[in-house]
Amino acid sequence: MGTERIAKNRRKFFQTSAALIGGTIIYSLIKPFEAIAQTEAENSKEGKGNLPLWGMGVDIESCIGCGKCAEACKMENNVPKEPFYFRTWVEQYTVKNDGEVKIESPNGGIGGLKQSVPDEDIFKSFMVPKLCNHCTKAPCVQACPVGATFISPDGVVLVDETYCIGCSYCIQACPYGARFMNPITKVADKCTFCYHRITKGLQPACVEVCPTDARIFGDLRDKKGDLVKFLQDNPTQVLKPHLNTHSRVFYNGLSSEVK
Amino acid sequence: MPKLIFRLFLSFVLFVSVFILIQNSLTPDSFGKYGHYRADAIDDNKISTSYYKGEENCTTCHEDIFDLKFNDLHSGVNCESCHSPKINASVECEVMPPVIEGTLKLCAQCHETNYARIKIVPQLNFKEHEEGRNCIECHNPHAPWELKE
Amino acid sequence: MEEHYQHLYEALSQVDGYIYPNEIDLHWGLMIVLYPYITGLVAGAFILASLERVFNIKALKPTYGLALLTALAFLFVATLPLVSHLQHPLRSYEIFMTPNPTSAMAIFGFVYLWYLMAVLLLEIWFDYRRDFVIWSKTSTGFKKLFYKVITLGINETDEKSAKLDDKLGYFITVLGIPSAFLLHGYVGFIFGSIKANPWWSTVLMPVIFLFSAMVSGIALVMVIYMVVSWIRKVKIDMLCLDTIAKYLFYILIIDFTLESLDQIHRLYEAEESFHIIEVLVGGKLNITLIYMQVIFGTIIPLSIIGLFQIYKPSEKIRKIAYFFVGILVLIGIFFMRWNVVIGGQLFSKSLSGFTTFNAVYSGTEGYLMTAVWLILPLLILTFLLWLMPPWKKVSVHE
Repeated sequence: MGTERIAKNRRKFFQTSAALIGGTIIYSLIKPFEAIAQTEAENSKEGKGNLPLWGMGVDIESCIGCGKCAEACKMENNVPKEPFYFRTWVEQYTVKNDGEVKIESPNGGIGGLKQSVPDEDIFKSFMVPKLCNHCTKAPCVQACPVGATFISPDGVVLVDETYCIGCSYCIQACPYGARFMNPITKVADKCTFCYHRITKGLQPACVEVCPTDARIFGDLRDKKGDLVKFLQDNPTQVLKPHLNTHSRVFYNGLSSEVK
Repeated sequence: MPKLIFRLFLSFVLFVSVFILIQNSLTPDSFGKYGHYRADAIDDNKISTSYYKGEENCTTCHEDIFDLKFNDLHSGVNCESCHSPKINASVECEVMPPVIEGTLKLCAQCHETNYARIKIVPQLNFKEHEEGRNCIECHNPHAPWELKE
Repeated sequence: MEEHYQHLYEALSQVDGYIYPNEIDLHWGLMIVLYPYITGLVAGAFILASLERVFNIKALKPTYGLALLTALAFLFVATLPLVSHLQHPLRSYEIFMTPNPTSAMAIFGFVYLWYLMAVLLLEIWFDYRRDFVIWSKTSTGFKKLFYKVITLGINETDEKSAKLDDKLGYFITVLGIPSAFLLHGYVGFIFGSIKANPWWSTVLMPVIFLFSAMVSGIALVMVIYMVVSWIRKVKIDMLCLDTIAKYLFYILIIDFTLESLDQIHRLYEAEESFHIIEVLVGGKLNITLIYMQVIFGTIIPLSIIGLFQIYKPSEKIRKIAYFFVGILVLIGIFFMRWNVVIGGQLFSKSLSGFTTFNAVYSGTEGYLMTAVWLILPLLILTFLLWLMPPWKKVSVHE
């Protein structure tokens, strides 16, 4: 009789504690998904028309490899001047007559790219500006263990400098080599489409200084804008399409040798 | 019910509760608003100083040069492409003109002969063309085809 | 800072071919080679212990307690290489606070903390509880205090409580096996899920990591068992040692098969990244992969233990051979981690060139730090063996 009562008390105790524990665990599991549900609700609430979706077009047929974009970017964004840290850079491809492809980017192209193969050996040659592709399905955002890098609601992949722990996983995950570890701030760093400029109606610094309009920045949702016109007028490609990153930097004139 | 299991259960519950409490207090407030990140970081990224001001800014004082440039082949080249802004917080806009010795290097950035460069841009071998002399001795950089001689 | 730039300028001058400008510096160095190595040792030692506990391989009984304590000693140290490596180590708590559900690395906090700490500590506790109670009565000073506290006040030593400890310990071990798999499998997934890097991106990566972890853990316990027995001047249980070596052999075969499959598949399909990888393996990774990992770390141990399955030499020769094989395997698996981590960063993602890796001696990513993180667990193990000697246990599980 007494044991029955004790057994009942024990049972009640177990039931309550199981409920408590179960509840806490379920709550802590649901919380992260809450954020995702919230985002979807926010997205549909705001409506696609309100926020821009930023992208960039690169016209390889216009790029002259002067390197001013890379230089301006470093100045505008306080990137260390040493040749190991680039938010954007320009590559020179020289396809030789024997089929060998030579790729160069000394100091990221700053100071102008110089020809290094004699004319008679060249089959074709061109310049390719590179930068963060602000992928809609960014592998770097997927990889960040703490949520320090993210895609803003207007489509720019940004880094939270106060939150990044400096593990470099995002740098490993980026297929385009667009990220680097900033030696001063010790956090992951990369092109931000000059977020501080575009949110004030200015163009990114690299677009501002390009003498041949090889970089076209704009809103993919603006049907009358320059970028959409560029995409409609030219056959454009993205880098490494087989990786399905949904990159929002579109190249016109991308030759198959480009890595 | 063995004391053992009861005490372990208790420690487990305690641990989980303390963990969740700490988690809620240490997670930044704006975290999770738009996605798995601190939403305030979006504003943090907007804060940086802009050094490049845009051509319209230059024309407020230098309209004459702008008009000169407008009518010649460098019309498509922004002022700030060649005159990169010097960072000087006390001055609203201070422009750094390329140093006299430097024009050769500066102009070569675009105009040095390179097989990969599109032919629309006039290119020459800087060593052969008036070697050692500065470009601006003969060319007005704002109106390059207006030769000085 | 100047020194760092000097080091980078040197690396720049040694670049072979073309690399993306940001790739000059290797971001993951010795510390990231160490982390999978240490967690692998933990998982492997734990699996060896569970072979005895769950799969009832009685011959392994002498190493059960030792394997568990080894796993614990290395587990305590496992996070430290990671913290050495982070640029902002003081922010590392963020992994526990806001783990990104899409990031493989974020699993670290939960697997490490919840499962294996809870599992391993609990298993050891269940196994030793009765001994703690008994020992607390006969010891003095620090040991007495420790034993009293660790029992959490549960001081029964009768049959019934022993049986309960046994059952719970068994239950926890069963739970621990998939946990150990998860602890090391996720590390493999961290690499295997990076589509940007063709040397890492393979479905087999978590499985390869897991099996090489088991190999390293088993070899570690084998070597430690021999060393501890030698220090204590007790006779080694040859049946136990032969059994450990036998399991080492089987799992090493599986590990070798998996790694070979990975490379054969790569060779056969020869897709875009094949050329640069071919140059990598033939050049910069030649010594660490072909010689250290494959020949010394796999083929020679397999040959020796394989031979023993057919022809068994004298005890003395076997002991020396096992020790030698254990060390070879430990070194071989270290280089396997090296080849994955460092090898994957030596070639550019442009698949057109190589950078260099020059390890330093000092600093948080240097050889010295590596030595510290490898020696520290051995010191902890010594302390644990002094505190909870498995050979002095009174109660032994069924």
